[in-house]
Amino acid sequence: MIPDRLESNLRQGFRESLLPKLGLVLLASILIMAIFAPVLATHNPTRTGYLDENGNSYPPLGTSYTTEIGQDGEFVEVEVESTSDHLLGTNDIGQDVFSRLVYGARTSMLVGLLGTGLAVLIGVPFGLVSGYYGGRVDDVMMRIADTMLAFPSLVLALALIGVFGSAGFGIPDPLTRFGLIDGMPESTTLPGTVTVVVALVTWVWFARVARGEAMSVRNEEYVTAARSMGASNWTILFKHVLPNSLTPVIVLATIQVAAVILLESSLSFLGFSGTTLSWGYDISRGQGYQRTSWWISMVPGLGIVFAVIAVNLLGDWLRDALDPNIEGEGGGA
Amino acid sequence: MSIGKFLVKRLLQGVLVIWGVITIMFALRAVSPGDPANLIVGPAADPEIRDQVREQYGLNEPIYVQYVDYVQGMVTGDFGYSFQSSREVTTMVLERVPATLELAIAATIIAIVIAVPLGVISASRRNEPADYGATLFSLLGISTPNFWLGLMLILLFAIFLQDPMETYLGFTIPQGRRPVGFGEAMMTLVTTGYAGDLLTWVRHITLPAITLGTYFTAMITRLTRSGMIDEFGKPYVTATEAKGIPYVLIRYKHVLRNTMIPIITVLGLQLGTLIGGAVITETVFNWPGLGDRLIQALNARDWPLMQGIIVFIALGFVLINIAVDALYATLDPRVTNE
Amino acid sequence: MTDTDDILRVNDLSTRFFTEQGQVNAVDELELRIERGEVFGIVGESGSGKSVTARSVIDLIDAPGEIVDGEIWFDDAELAERVREDAPDAVDGSFVDLLSVSSAVRQSLRGTSFSMIFQDPESSFNPSLTVGEQLAEAVEVQRRASANPRSTKAKTDSAEYSFGNLLLSTVLPSQQFVTEESRERAIELLELVGIPDPVERADEYPHEYSGGMLQRAMIAQALAGEPDVLIADEPTTALDVTIQAQILDLLDDLQTETGMTILLITHNLGVVARMCDRVGVMYAGEIVERGTLEDVFDDHVHPYTEGLLGSIPELGGANGQLEPIGGNVPSLLDHEMEDRCHFADRCPMAMEDCLDHPPEFDAAGSEDHTVRCVLATQSYTEREALPPNYFGDAERPAGEKHAEPAHSDGEQPAERTRTTISDSGGESR
Repeated sequence: MIPDRLESNLRQGFRESLLPKLGLVLLASILIMAIFAPVLATHNPTRTGYLDENGNSYPPLGTSYTTEIGQDGEFVEVEVESTSDHLLGTNDIGQDVFSRLVYGARTSMLVGLLGTGLAVLIGVPFGLVSGYYGGRVDDVMMRIADTMLAFPSLVLALALIGVFGSAGFGIPDPLTRFGLIDGMPESTTLPGTVTVVVALVTWVWFARVARGEAMSVRNEEYVTAARSMGASNWTILFKHVLPNSLTPVIVLATIQVAAVILLESSLSFLGFSGTTLSWGYDISRGQGYQRTSWWISMVPGLGIVFAVIAVNLLGDWLRDALDPNIEGEGGGA
Repeated sequence: MSIGKFLVKRLLQGVLVIWGVITIMFALRAVSPGDPANLIVGPAADPEIRDQVREQYGLNEPIYVQYVDYVQGMVTGDFGYSFQSSREVTTMVLERVPATLELAIAATIIAIVIAVPLGVISASRRNEPADYGATLFSLLGISTPNFWLGLMLILLFAIFLQDPMETYLGFTIPQGRRPVGFGEAMMTLVTTGYAGDLLTWVRHITLPAITLGTYFTAMITRLTRSGMIDEFGKPYVTATEAKGIPYVLIRYKHVLRNTMIPIITVLGLQLGTLIGGAVITETVFNWPGLGDRLIQALNARDWPLMQGIIVFIALGFVLINIAVDALYATLDPRVTNE
Repeated sequence: MTDTDDILRVNDLSTRFFTEQGQVNAVDELELRIERGEVFGIVGESGSGKSVTARSVIDLIDAPGEIVDGEIWFDDAELAERVREDAPDAVDGSFVDLLSVSSAVRQSLRGTSFSMIFQDPESSFNPSLTVGEQLAEAVEVQRRASANPRSTKAKTDSAEYSFGNLLLSTVLPSQQFVTEESRERAIELLELVGIPDPVERADEYPHEYSGGMLQRAMIAQALAGEPDVLIADEPTTALDVTIQAQILDLLDDLQTETGMTILLITHNLGVVARMCDRVGVMYAGEIVERGTLEDVFDDHVHPYTEGLLGSIPELGGANGQLEPIGGNVPSLLDHEMEDRCHFADRCPMAMEDCLDHPPEFDAAGSEDHTVRCVLATQSYTEREALPPNYFGDAERPAGEKHAEPAHSDGEQPAERTRTTISDSGGESR
C-alpha cells in the first residue's frame, strides 16, 4: 500500500527519533490492555461496593485522605487508608478504578478504530467520485461537504444522538465466554450509536483528502490510457485512483483516530454514550468529588491523554515521512 | 477576479450551506421518535390540551408546510418558541451569545499570544531545549481532553495550592449566573471609573479560557513551528538575506507573515473545534453560554431551542470563515487572481 | 601575486556540509582572484560546488553548511580603516579578510558591497509583497548605509532596526523600515532595467510578472545597493532562450555603465563566451582549469574542459549534437572521495599519474592559464593508461575505444560514448 520510496523515509524517521518508538510502545500497551482486559483487570469493573466500612472510596495505593462521617449524631473526621486490593482506589460507588481504566481502553480503541474505519468507508468513495467526475457533481457534493463542516463535530454528534438515542450492543468476550477467566463481564458493550455518529461527523475530512487526490490523478496519462482502453469509470476509480489516495488517507486516518477518541470521551463525559465503561464517563463520575477523591477523574483522564499521545506520535511520524499536506479536524474536546 | 466578486461568490456558497444546515436540522427533528407535544405538556395531559398545543406549534400541518414555515421563520430570525419554557428561542439564544463569545475570544487571544512567539522561538532554535520544551508542550496540549484539563486545573488550584486562589478565580459559577459580563464591566469602568467589575470578570474567565485555549495554543504552536521551518527553506529567504536587510525584518515581515497566511485558513476550519470545545468547557465551569444551554436543550429534547442554537452556531461558523477568506485574500495576493 | 588591481582574493576556501550521509566537501581549498571591473565566470556541472563558492563569498551558507577554512580578501580601503581597530589581523593594506571579521560586519556588506542575482526569479521574490516594496528594501539598506558612514558599527550594535521599530511600524508609518524616497528610487531602478510602466509595475506582485521581467526586477534589486561585486548565480537558466539573450545584454550594458565586478556562475559555456573576461572551470569543489576566455576555449588542457566544450551544442560536437560527458557527477562525500584526480574515473585519458591528486600547473597561453591535470606536463601514453574497468565502472567513457590500437595514437579521445547525463547540468532541478 505504501510505495517503496516512502518506506525508507518511514524507516529513517523511526531510526532517528525517539518519538515514533515511544508512540508505538504506548499504543501497543494500550491495545494489549484493551484486548486482555479480563486478564489484566483485578476486579469486575462493573461491580460496585468496594468501599470501606463507612462507605468511603479507597484512595490509590500509598495515599490517604480525611473525610467526615456522621457518628452518633455528630460529624467525626476519619482518615481513609488505601488498600493493596485496589491499586488505584475505588470510585464514588465503589468500583475498582484500575479495572475500569483497563476496560475503558476497550471502548476508546473500539470506537476510535471502528468509527474512523467507518468514516473512511463513507468519506473516501464520496471524495473520489466528487474529485474524479468534477463539474456539477463535484459542486453539489462539495456543498454537501461544506454543510457538514459548518457543524462543529461535537455539536452535530450531540444533535444526532439527541435524535437517535445512544444505544450500545454487547460483543461477547471470548476470554470470559469460554470460561478462561472468571468473574469478569461476559461481553463488552460497543456504543453503537456513538460509533456511527463519530463516523457521520468526521467523514468529510476524508472526502476532502480523497477528492484532492482524485483531482490530481484524473488527468494523469495512465488514467487517460485506461479510459481509452475502455475501462469503466468505476474500474478506473478503484484500480487507479483509489490506490493513489491511500497514503494521505492512512495518515489522516491515524490523526483522526486521536480526534475520535477525544470525541467519544467528550460524548461520554456529557452522558451521551451507550456504555458506562468509558474513560469519559468515569471522569464525569469524579466531577463532584475532585476535592477529596481526585483520582476518580484523574486516572481515566491520564488514560485518554496517553492513548491520544500515542496515536498523535504515530500520526506525526507518518505525516513527516509521507508528507502529504493534509489537515484533519482537531479533537472534539 | 476582484475581491468583491470573490466575496459575493463565497457569500452565495454560505447561503447554500446555511440552507443545508437548516434542512438537516429540520429533517432530524422530523425523523426523531416521539410526539413533541408530549415534551411540551407531558404524556399525561388532556388530549384536548395536547391538540391545542399541537395546533399552536404548527405540528398538525403537513410536513412540507411545516418545512416552509420553518425555513421562513429562520430567514426572518424567528426561531420559534422553546418547548420547555415557551420563551422565544431567538431571545434565549441571543442572551447566551456574549458569554460564549467572550470565552471563545479570550481563549483565542491566549492561544495566539502564547503560540505564535512559542512557534517562532521553536522554529528558530531547532533542536535546542526551548524547541524540545515547546514540542512537548504542544504534544500534550493537543492530546488532552479539555473537560479533563478543566477539572484538573480546579483540582490544582483548590487542593494542591491550598485554596486562596479559589476565592479569586471563582472556578465554577454556582447557579450558572456570571456575576458580570464584559460589556457591563466595561460600562461600569467607563462611566464610574470602578475597575472592580472588570477584575471580577477577569477572575471568572481565566480558568475557562485557559481550559479552552490550551488545545489551540498547542495547535498554533505546531503549525507556526512547522510552517516557519518550511518557509525558512524557501529560496526567497536566501535572496532576501542577500539584500542585507535587518534580520528582524526577514523573520517577521517576510517569513512569519507568509507562515501565518495558510495558518489563518486552518484556524477558520478549526473554529468548529473551538465551538465544540466551548460547549464542553461551559458545562465543566457552569459557564452560562450557548453550549451550556445546548446541553440543557438536548437533555430536555427541546427541539426548537436545540435547532435555534445549532443553526446560530453554523451561521457564525460560515460568516467567520467568509471573513477568514477575505482576510486570506488580502494577505495573499495570489488568491484573487486565480 | 601580481600587482593587478584585484578586488577579491580567495585563498584556500573550504566549505563543507555536514549532512546525515556524511561530510560533503562542496568547496575544497579553492583559490580565486578576481580583478576590479572584470566579469569572472565559474563554469561547471551541477554539484561541482560553483554555487557554494558564490554563496561563501557573500556569506549565505546556511546550516548544515560551514566555511571551515580559508581567507577571502576584499579590497575596500574604507572598510579596512573601520575594522583595523577591532581586528588588526583581518587587515592587509586596503584588503580585509572577510572570514576574520565579525559576522555583523560581513552582513553589513550584503547589498552594499556584494549583491546577488539568483537563478529562479519566481522563487526568489517573496510572493506576498509587491516587487516595488521588495526593491525599496534593498534601496533602503544602501540609503541607511550611506547616510551613516559608520554603518558597520551601527549594525554591530544592532541598534539600527529592532523588533520594537517593527511593532511600532504597524501603527506609525514613520517607523517603517522602507521610506517613501526608497520607493521612488525603486521605481527609477525598474525603469533603468527596462521595465515599462514602472510606476504601475512597482505595485504589482511577483506572480503578475513574467519570468524575464522578474529577472530584470531582480537585477534592479541587486543594483539598488550600488554593489562593488555582483554575483550572478545562473542568471538565465530558468528563462526562455529568447529572454536569456536580453538579460545578458542588460547585464552587459549595466556592467559597462557602472564598472562593477561580476562573478558569473553558470553551467553554460555559451554564456561564458558571451560575457566573461576570465573563467574558471570547476569540478568536484576545485577549479581544475582557469585562464582567459582564449585559454579555456582554445588552449584548454584538461579533458574535463574538453568534455564541457564538447557538450554544448553551439560550440562543440558535430551535427549540433550534444556530446555528453560519460559517467556521473562525482560524489563529494568526504569518505567517498579518494586522494586522486577527481575526474580520473570519467576521464578518457586517465593514467597512473592521475592516482595522485594533481597540483595546479602553468599551461600554455596567457600567464593566468593554469590547470590541475598532469597532461600539462606530459602527454597521454597508452602504456601508462589505466585499464578501462579500473574504477569498477563500466561507464568510464572511451576506455574501450582506447583499448583498440586504431585510436591509440592521439591525445584526444576519438569518440565519447553517449551515456548517462543529458546535458552538462544546470542546477535548475
